Amino acid sequence: MKVVTGVVGNDIHVVANRLIDLSLRARGYEVFNLGVNTYLEEFFDAVVETGADVLLISSLNGEAEGWGREVKPLLTQYKKLDDVVMMIGGNLVVGRGDPDEIQRKYKSYGFDLVCHQIDLNTGLDMLETHLEKRTQESNA
Amino acid sequence: MSLLQEERKIILSNEFVDAFDFAEVTDFVKNASKELFISHHFKKNKNKKMMVQPRGGFPTYEKQYALYEFFLKANVDVLPLTVDSNTRLNDYATAQKMLRLSEENNIDMLNGYPLVTHGYRTTRKMITHFDKPVSLRHGTPDARLLIETAIASGIFEIEGGPITYLLPYSKNFPLDKAFLYWKYVERVCANYSQLNEPINRESFGPLTATMVPPSITIVIQLLEMLLSLEEGVKSFSVSFAQQGSMMQDIVTGAVLKKLARFYAEEIGCGDADIHLVYHQWMGAFPMNRDYADQLINMSTVIASMVGADKIITKTCEEAVGIPTKEANAKTVANTQYTLRILNGLPSVVDEEEEEILTLEVKAIMEAVFNDPADTLWRKVFNCIKSGIIDVPFSPHIINHNEMITLRDAQKNIRIIKRGNVPMPDRCYEYHKSQCDLSKDTTSIVNDIIHDIGIMQ
Repeated sequence: MKVVTGVVGNDIHVVANRLIDLSLRARGYEVFNLGVNTYLEEFFDAVVETGADVLLISSLNGEAEGWGREVKPLLTQYKKLDDVVMMIGGNLVVGRGDPDEIQRKYKSYGFDLVCHQIDLNTGLDMLETHLEKRTQESNA
Repeated sequence: MSLLQEERKIILSNEFVDAFDFAEVTDFVKNASKELFISHHFKKNKNKKMMVQPRGGFPTYEKQYALYEFFLKANVDVLPLTVDSNTRLNDYATAQKMLRLSEENNIDMLNGYPLVTHGYRTTRKMITHFDKPVSLRHGTPDARLLIETAIASGIFEIEGGPITYLLPYSKNFPLDKAFLYWKYVERVCANYSQLNEPINRESFGPLTATMVPPSITIVIQLLEMLLSLEEGVKSFSVSFAQQGSMMQDIVTGAVLKKLARFYAEEIGCGDADIHLVYHQWMGAFPMNRDYADQLINMSTVIASMVGADKIITKTCEEAVGIPTKEANAKTVANTQYTLRILNGLPSVVDEEEEEILTLEVKAIMEAVFNDPADTLWRKVFNCIKSGIIDVPFSPHIINHNEMITLRDAQKNIRIIKRGNVPMPDRCYEYHKSQCDLSKDTTSIVNDIIHDIGIMQ
């Protein structure tokens, strides 16, 4: 299973990015880590180039909201990305926010999995459950 | 005219520079007050009182001036001039605009002092007025214009280096360019050093301040020192930040001092003065201000055990944002108080740890010197590219990120995966034997998260 990951926007928070990379590898994923300071186009280009199954975007400095809105319009320019699992995690809003509201908002932006201030391993467990469920559905 | 002088003319003929007068600046440096030179203070400081230097930079002249007044009241030894991030990235147009907005609306639109925008004629008035040594703190890969302006202003200590100001701060600024731009900085500092007391260069040892093992810190300190000395710099400070274990800090300080002297003599630069600088904890700070003050106080004690020549302070507001001048001055006063009452320190030596660390550093240094490239900077460049030097948690694309570190029970940083770093097997086995490696990677990742946040 291939995963493209990185930190979106003018955000240089590298620590979490390295830990995500390490944890994904430990769980057996093939990881393409674009690192910090990555733009949406670069993420989607990398997914096309690597044929990734999962796109995991992280954000810490509050920029996710602005970039999130751009996801759908930009996705229309790419073909064959419908099956990619889209996941986002980190600090997804500036300041405090209602978790349910944040979930709803980011799902409307096109993300399948939204992890706002959720522990890394819990988030990656969610990804695994999601992938298993999808495999079962397609087999059924 | 020399090639360097031609380059200087190009760098200083810039729409953001108001007619740089080479002859006048040379004359100013030649006749400048000795008090402005930290190298002079290092020399005359015979009783070895550790110098205290805070951090701090505000956008407007008035606020920077007010900050310095506060620092003086708190009995500061060295004043900081921290530069804003637009200037650091050579975006002088934005710095100019934000400075005007800050001045007009009386709010801070910049996270430091835009030195190039203020210019040397204005800044020099402030520096010479206070007549204290000033240290330039920035983070700039291309600092050519910045350091020309700094020295012309009377700022005679320049922090940074091609590796330490790049690998922690940038994702893709080309490292080879950084080496060449810093070569210019070293040469300019070396030339000015012949006129009066030497300009002091200081490397930035904290790097990413995240689980960097002492051997990597020391190797990079030594290499930046050598790159500086070989261009003719005569006064240099190596530095490192509090690591989390008192013993490891003491060992790091001892090995760094010993090897800095050793390698300076190896390249025939034994006449240079070398100093040791200690940074109070640079990692994640506690939100609780009282705890933050306790941590700062403990850092001062360790700096004394290490025998540092200068300490660079933090504030109790570190976890919250850019500190106020009040909080900043409070730390200076507190640190001076701790230093005054801290007497009769025991001398602590851990021979086994020192031996292991010395072996590691020497092995990596040997690998750098054995690189087939013709000049030292190219050897260093190749070694970073090939992962012989690997900095944990660097965001830069050239960094290998293969090394993994963990804390042992005493909170010493240990290397549990060396990647391409040529540390001897004996040292590697020693490091691993200090840690519990029977855990799975998920638990180890959780340990790393815990180890990063130990002071919170």
